[in-house]
Amino acid sequence: MKKLFIILMMIVLVCAMPLIACGEEEPAPAPAPAPAPAPEPAPPEKDSIVFGGARSLSGFNAIVAETSFNPAWYMWVEEVNAAGGIYVEEYGKKLPIETIMYDDKSDRGTLVKLLEKLITEDKVDFILGPCSTGSIFAAAPIANKYEYIMIGGEGGSITLAEFLPSMPYIFPVIQDSSHQIPPLVELMVEKGVKTAAVIYFEDLHGVENASTTVMECRKAGIDIVMYKSFPLGTKDLSPLLREAKALEVDAFLSMSYPDESFLAIGQSMEIDFNPKVFYATVGIYMTVLKDIFGDEVIEGIMGGGAWNGKQSPRAAELEAKRIEFTGPGGMEYWGFAVFWSAFQHLQQSIEMAGTLDQTVIRDILATEKFDTDFGPWWYENQVPALEAYAGVVGQWQDGYFEVILPTPKATADSIYPKPPWPKH
Amino acid sequence: MMVTILNVVIDGILTGGIYSLIAMGFGLQYGVARVLNISHGEFIMLGAFATWSLYTFFGINPLISLVICGPVLFGIGFLIHRTLFSRLQRISASTGAYEASSLLATFGILFIIQNAALLIWGPFVRGLGVYSYPVSFAGTTFGFNRLITPLFAIVISVAFYLFISRTRLGKAIRAAAQDRVTAGLMGVKINSVLAVCFGLGALMASLAGSLISITYTISPIMGLEYTAIAFIVVVLGGLGSISGSFIGGFLLGLIGSIVSYFDASLALITYYVIFMLLLMVKPTGILGK
Amino acid sequence: MNMAKIISNRPFYLGLIVLVLILLFTLPVYGSNYGIILLTNIILYIILTLSWAIFSGPTGYISLASAAFLGVGMYTMAILGNEFPLVVAVLAGGLISSCLALLTGALTLRLRGMYFIMFTFGLTQLAKYVVLWWEHHINAITGRYVIIIEPPIVYYYILVIFVSTLLAAYYIRRSRLGLALQTIGENEEAAAHMGVNVTLVKVITFGISAFFMGAAGAIMATRWIYIDPSIAFNILYSFLPVLMAIFGGMGQLYGPILGAAIFAYLEELLITRFPYYYMLFFGVVLVVAVLYLPNGFVGLIEKWRRRSGERQES
Repeated sequence: MKKLFIILMMIVLVCAMPLIACGEEEPAPAPAPAPAPAPEPAPPEKDSIVFGGARSLSGFNAIVAETSFNPAWYMWVEEVNAAGGIYVEEYGKKLPIETIMYDDKSDRGTLVKLLEKLITEDKVDFILGPCSTGSIFAAAPIANKYEYIMIGGEGGSITLAEFLPSMPYIFPVIQDSSHQIPPLVELMVEKGVKTAAVIYFEDLHGVENASTTVMECRKAGIDIVMYKSFPLGTKDLSPLLREAKALEVDAFLSMSYPDESFLAIGQSMEIDFNPKVFYATVGIYMTVLKDIFGDEVIEGIMGGGAWNGKQSPRAAELEAKRIEFTGPGGMEYWGFAVFWSAFQHLQQSIEMAGTLDQTVIRDILATEKFDTDFGPWWYENQVPALEAYAGVVGQWQDGYFEVILPTPKATADSIYPKPPWPKH
Repeated sequence: MMVTILNVVIDGILTGGIYSLIAMGFGLQYGVARVLNISHGEFIMLGAFATWSLYTFFGINPLISLVICGPVLFGIGFLIHRTLFSRLQRISASTGAYEASSLLATFGILFIIQNAALLIWGPFVRGLGVYSYPVSFAGTTFGFNRLITPLFAIVISVAFYLFISRTRLGKAIRAAAQDRVTAGLMGVKINSVLAVCFGLGALMASLAGSLISITYTISPIMGLEYTAIAFIVVVLGGLGSISGSFIGGFLLGLIGSIVSYFDASLALITYYVIFMLLLMVKPTGILGK
Repeated sequence: MNMAKIISNRPFYLGLIVLVLILLFTLPVYGSNYGIILLTNIILYIILTLSWAIFSGPTGYISLASAAFLGVGMYTMAILGNEFPLVVAVLAGGLISSCLALLTGALTLRLRGMYFIMFTFGLTQLAKYVVLWWEHHINAITGRYVIIIEPPIVYYYILVIFVSTLLAAYYIRRSRLGLALQTIGENEEAAAHMGVNVTLVKVITFGISAFFMGAAGAIMATRWIYIDPSIAFNILYSFLPVLMAIFGGMGQLYGPILGAAIFAYLEELLITRFPYYYMLFFGVVLVVAVLYLPNGFVGLIEKWRRRSGERQES
């Protein structure tokens, strides 16, 4: 018995040793093939810029990972590499981008572990943001500790923004409720909305959006007559929808993820609940909504977002490429433009810095304004300026997700009130 | 007030229809084949995505897909049992050991199916809205898609009841469920019967999946959520009792809609509290002796 | 003197254990940063599996409550970590998990087999939804930041918990408690007739096993940095110990340890080398393992030993 117990201890060690040991040896760079007699200030050798990400390729966040960030990332890398890479002065040449992608299984422990692996063992040049707001919360202190710039990840939050002054390397790019809700409320006031019902998912996203809405509506004089939450795994929203219908609200706002946003649309139609404003935060920007319900049903529904191909010829080109990238079912009009601009901005920051030193790049990133395919992009207190976004609220019109807010970026006027559900 | 009560009751029955479909297959697989199938939700997902694909690429009506996907999944389930579980049964020392190792095996199947689905269909949310339009009934309105589900749950359970009580195979299944050894001695080809049961479980999962695809959004990672519901329902109805799972599903739907009427955020807590209380007080389920 | 004699020498084994422990405890001196983090994670898996096996191994009661105990430990750290010394918070995590386990144990005395599996599954889910509801409706928050502790310190904590789990597992097996558990596993009625206080034995062991999970959860929470209920009470952590224990084999004490170590190592390899196919490989490994290694790795090793023993005799 005891013997085996020792064998096992040995095996545990044997299993672990190579990993530990190889980490140890890492600092010594791979022996260069016979150092050629170079002129004095020989540029350091480097063949590529390595970006590493621990992202949710499986588990409950998997549907998030491939929606916006991954397509934007891989498309951008393809374009940059086709042009030879990013020019870094320090190395005197263009360096192509290489991606190391790990799967965090949607598990926090794995995410944190893999991030440390990427930074301390793989010694990547840059890291990619993780999936979901909670993951960004966990990843931010690590990236900041090692002084690695972290751009994005799918998630934004006012609470996160409050932490940023102490974490100078973190750049969350996705919009939070402070970007989307105030313009929306302004629009509702302008259109004459008097009462609103708010339902929200019980997590950070839902709570923040709901409370921002309450605050903004109170300021604007819109009466919130219903304010209810629902938890993870809710399969039936009709009790909430019937209540909102009975209250005859002008606006219905659902702070929810795709599953519940879509459920709310389907069930509202079923019980013939047709508010003048129908808004949901996440998921409306997906073209799959069109595939599910058809153009007629979703006419006039509003959601967070947005960008589209009508904004510029270059945007139209990217839109076509993006549709091709995942096929029509995987298209979205939300984060793609945001991440795309952020990546292009990063590229120009690196080129300006002329080095891969994170500290130098960070300072440029935080202050400079660069032009991107979706217009100028810059950060204010480490979050994108409101004006930098290609859009914050969109609306389905004639089978196309039009940008309606903010007004300077809009591709169409908003439809108000929302037309009735089609009759069968 | 009457309308409100009617709404709550009908909402409950409509959601309950899905629950009972989900649970019947799961209950059958455990009750007869003794496999606690953690991958049950993945079979539901397969049914849902097959239905979605058939509609999207070939324009086949989801209600026709029911008839196509069901038998295919039955075949897959049957084969899995013939190759995997019957061998496991042979090499397991006891029923307990078999239950443990088959649990592990279904976890493996869960991983394989889920990953395959992620590779085939991509990690995207999908859905079918063909039948989501309102139907008026006694002063209230409901989605036609949600109305179909409980109807199917009833049709399927009646068909299943007839199959179990009237056919030779059905009698063999009943015999196998009660006493495997004696049934074997009496000439029942026990391995085939168990494989049929496992296949039937997969078939019911597929039907549930098809109906879910016209009611809810679907994604390759949706499985575990439905497996969790199946857990609750089979306990409510009594482990291993198919009729119990059928009634348990509707009951759970009703409980859910009543609680949601007062406070939606308490629905799932209520499910699990009832689940655990029942296990403590009456583990045989509400219908158990 | 031949090799076999040396290897079966008792002082040799004790020496080896000491050596291994010294190696493990001095790792932060010579190991890399990530080596420590990785080993911390592997040891977490081992603790979960080993402490799960303390109760479930001999009795055959399959518990799916591991994630609940782990999560309770994590939330304890998130709440107490800022105000109390680390040791206190870790011990509190263990104790609170232990209390939950004692309560659960006392409530589920009648449940056996599948009913026990179901109940513990429900416990994990209920814990998740209750914490979710409580945090949201009472505290008006959705997640919590945990104090951040440097990896080497976390490593030492997890190592100490590992060694205590190991000692506990070892002594329980050799004590009258272990014997009683074994008897319960073989035939619970018979055990009761023989005068074993079946209830007490089960509840106490369940409590002990939960202590280590809770303590491990508490210290690991500092590595997870930000937790919310669906992360802390992830049902995956209920299934993992079961898989790892069966994978390793439960007949011997070293089985679960071996299972967890190989499992964790394999997982690390797959999610970094084949991120898009990780689950596929893993699933195949599980199915193959269950088909061809019915008694886990322990079974394989025992078989191999028996065979080599026969060869030596002939």
